[in-house]
Amino acid sequence: MLTQTELDHAAKVLGRKPNETELAMLDVLWSEHCSYKSSKRWFHLFKTKGDRVYLGIGEGAGLVDIGDGILLGVAMESHNHPSQVDPYNGAATGVGGIIRDVISQGCKAVGLMNCLHFGHPGKPKNAHLLDHVVRGISDYGNSVGIPMVGGDLSFDDSYEGNCLVNVICIGMVRPGKVVRSSAKTPGDHLVIFGSTTGRDGIAGVSFASETFSDQEEENRGAVQIGDPLAKKVLIDVLSELVEKGLLEGLQDLGGGGLTSCAGEMASNGGTGVTIEVDRVPLREVGMTPWEIIVSESQERMLGVVSPENINEVLEILAKSEAPHAVIGHVTDDHLYTVLEAGEVRARLPVDLLVEGFPVPERVEGVIPVQKQSLEWLKDHYEFDALILDMLGSLNICDRSWVYSQYDQHVQINTVVDIGENAGVLEFPFNKRIAFSSDCNSQWCLLDPQQGTANSAAECLRNIVSMGARPILLADCLNFGNPERPDSYAQYVESVRGLGRFSNDFDIPVVAGNVSLYNEAETEGKIRRVNPTPQIMLAGIFEPGYSPIRRNLCTPWANLLLVGDTLPELNGTEFQRMTTGKIEGIPPVYRPKREKSIMNAMLEAHKFGLVRSCNNLGRGGIAIALMKMVMHSDYGFKVDLDYVPGSTSRDVEVLFSETSARYIAEVTESNQQQFMQIMEKHETSAVEIGLTVNDSVADFGDFEIDMREATEVFQNGLRQYME
Amino acid sequence: MAIAVLRFPGTNNEQDIIRVLKGIQGADPYLVPSRQGPTALQEADGVVIPGGFSYGDYLRAGAVASVGDIMEGVKELIDEGKPVLGICNGFQVLAESGHLPGALLTNESARFICKWVYLKVSEHTNRFTQGLENAIIRVPIAHAEGNYFCSNDILDKLVSENQIAFRYCDKEGNISDENNPNGSIMNIAGIVNEQQNVMGMMPHPERASRIAIGSRDGILILENFVRETVC
Repeated sequence: MLTQTELDHAAKVLGRKPNETELAMLDVLWSEHCSYKSSKRWFHLFKTKGDRVYLGIGEGAGLVDIGDGILLGVAMESHNHPSQVDPYNGAATGVGGIIRDVISQGCKAVGLMNCLHFGHPGKPKNAHLLDHVVRGISDYGNSVGIPMVGGDLSFDDSYEGNCLVNVICIGMVRPGKVVRSSAKTPGDHLVIFGSTTGRDGIAGVSFASETFSDQEEENRGAVQIGDPLAKKVLIDVLSELVEKGLLEGLQDLGGGGLTSCAGEMASNGGTGVTIEVDRVPLREVGMTPWEIIVSESQERMLGVVSPENINEVLEILAKSEAPHAVIGHVTDDHLYTVLEAGEVRARLPVDLLVEGFPVPERVEGVIPVQKQSLEWLKDHYEFDALILDMLGSLNICDRSWVYSQYDQHVQINTVVDIGENAGVLEFPFNKRIAFSSDCNSQWCLLDPQQGTANSAAECLRNIVSMGARPILLADCLNFGNPERPDSYAQYVESVRGLGRFSNDFDIPVVAGNVSLYNEAETEGKIRRVNPTPQIMLAGIFEPGYSPIRRNLCTPWANLLLVGDTLPELNGTEFQRMTTGKIEGIPPVYRPKREKSIMNAMLEAHKFGLVRSCNNLGRGGIAIALMKMVMHSDYGFKVDLDYVPGSTSRDVEVLFSETSARYIAEVTESNQQQFMQIMEKHETSAVEIGLTVNDSVADFGDFEIDMREATEVFQNGLRQYME
Repeated sequence: MAIAVLRFPGTNNEQDIIRVLKGIQGADPYLVPSRQGPTALQEADGVVIPGGFSYGDYLRAGAVASVGDIMEGVKELIDEGKPVLGICNGFQVLAESGHLPGALLTNESARFICKWVYLKVSEHTNRFTQGLENAIIRVPIAHAEGNYFCSNDILDKLVSENQIAFRYCDKEGNISDENNPNGSIMNIAGIVNEQQNVMGMMPHPERASRIAIGSRDGILILENFVRETVC
């Protein structure tokens, strides 16, 4: 809803009170979701430029040059509120929307990812939400024929009442075929195509910009309904229009419908637009101008077409049998005009509509200070039982229940399936790109800045462990109500963390989205989601390099631990498992170490010295080793008595989540060269053991039963979902 | 030889099939959108009905596509003895249209399932599996309705006439319930018709066509298919 200040501002600029249609238009475009009015002021902290960046933040997808005339497109977005209300359709249309963002830039969509955060699935409502969200993504993504290449899944009580569903689409385009989302030339036609317009998703963005209340059922009409068959037809017809170069501009109709789409294209092009609502193909009778102009019905695109090309475009659209119509044209008056039967129903300056909102004041509160203390540690732990518990815990266990429902192989370019540190796709000219997404919201809760930067570092290690060098970053920042100072402080600190990371590692942020108001009000109490800056990184391999997996793959090779281990148990999975709480200073972000170790590891990869590799994340060394052995034909015997760093107890060695660490499997004959490379980069590396020809997990002082480990790992999530 | 690759609205594996067939010597694949009707198949020496979600899988997977005009053209080619291969949704279409016996029901898990599986090729090979007798091959599946079912009479006949082409198995070739991803009767993953010129299979051979993507076992089947279009 527009605030009084905003209403007054609009009236002042217009010199009159806005009418009903104009109010609806301002309401959607000035919503947090469309305007980024609380969040955008901090984007200058991100590194956004880089040699490879062809098109940065601001349009449907970021475009990054991966060489030989191939641009990689990336878009990332949240669909949190719709998924909470109508999980199946909410998630499906999230996927539909992100695909449109990428194809509207002229790209072929070649990959999808999804990052999900839910409350504990032991509660039927949460399991139901997860089940339906996964089905929604699966039904939609599988139908349109785009492979799923990765994602993230975490569980925390803070997501109860407000689950998070973030989606990513990856595309590919040649520079000459890029279509921009702008309307530059007055006189060009505006052509809507793909599907009809109905009352679904009316003012969805406004509803996404408010906190949930007990009355969430009322918002069901604000959720859009997807139609993957119509989308497939849209994808096919669009690729023909793009291939023939018939579009001067193009944008998908997503949040904010025609208002946002045409308004932004006019704003980008420095022009105006006139829309005749009575020409829009409708699926319902009796729709009012404001309903038509803000509807978020799915599978629609708005193309800008020059008078020379209009006939050919209309012929192609007619052949596709997809609904389409010329609904207006580009003007030079800098106004957004809505006509119905020739009568003006709305007329707003584009400058006012797009970004003309009065910038709201936001107060940055204080983040509570955390302690370093490890007083909560007990004297004794049963490590074997603890490791088994951790393997079965929700944030570590096997995720195949989710990803086996996604088609990962369509388009036949999938080099590495989901379940490894990163998914890998093959692009033309043997280019291989790794994709990974991560966010440790527990770290971010304790320290949003460090936690965000360190989540990004974790994501980076996923990519590096496989042998790829990170080239781009996309993000989706999920936070609570920015009008609350403590919530706003989390957002601002997190952006600082991401800004630091992108600059420290020289990785440009090329796409992103901010989702605020992720709170649920139940029984008078506010429950806010953990700060969840979901980060996605893509990395490129050296030509011809075969991605390194984490399964141990040779017997009698050495296992090397790279990097220092510090006694960092606060904020870890170990702390959560053993105390049921998350507190203290989380593992520290160490950019300098992280960077030198990244370079060391990439050099070792380059010389082919690494047989298998895992990075250290949730659960520390213990879990990293288990994940290397559980799906392997081989096993390991390690001795963790000497581990570089400053740990003093076995429990710290096993479970610390210190950043900048990897475990690499290196054969004896390659070890000397590997160690020389580590030394050159001033990186500590120590042999902690070796691989053996049996399926065993031998930690020296204790052993883990492999059959039991595999079983708990596989059942961790499945037990709640089947 | 000219190989028609059908595309119904919602089919989404047609470009994958064309790309793989183009890499096989002697294959000249061309796309046939179903709206072009039977005449578009006149020159075809063979047909592939690829995977996807024809007509959005509305009603039942493959049901709407199976009654399309284009299927009359497919029937003529089948009657002429030309090879026709249905993969995934293509198998569903061929079963729905009666060119292959039995039906593909919803997976036992009631969920879509995507994973790599092992297949045991029958010792009695057919035109599509020559040279692969008893082989264990690795190919991916991706379907929600791949649970093959038929009456006991049909099953007896499939066995006696050597119409079962592939069965789900483990790495060593053992066929058991544990290795049955979808509940198919007798772990059946693919069958041929009586004349042995129509094959339907749920696994995707085109997705096992390069080492880089995990396996090239599937290309052997497609190579056999291409060779058969020449005969």
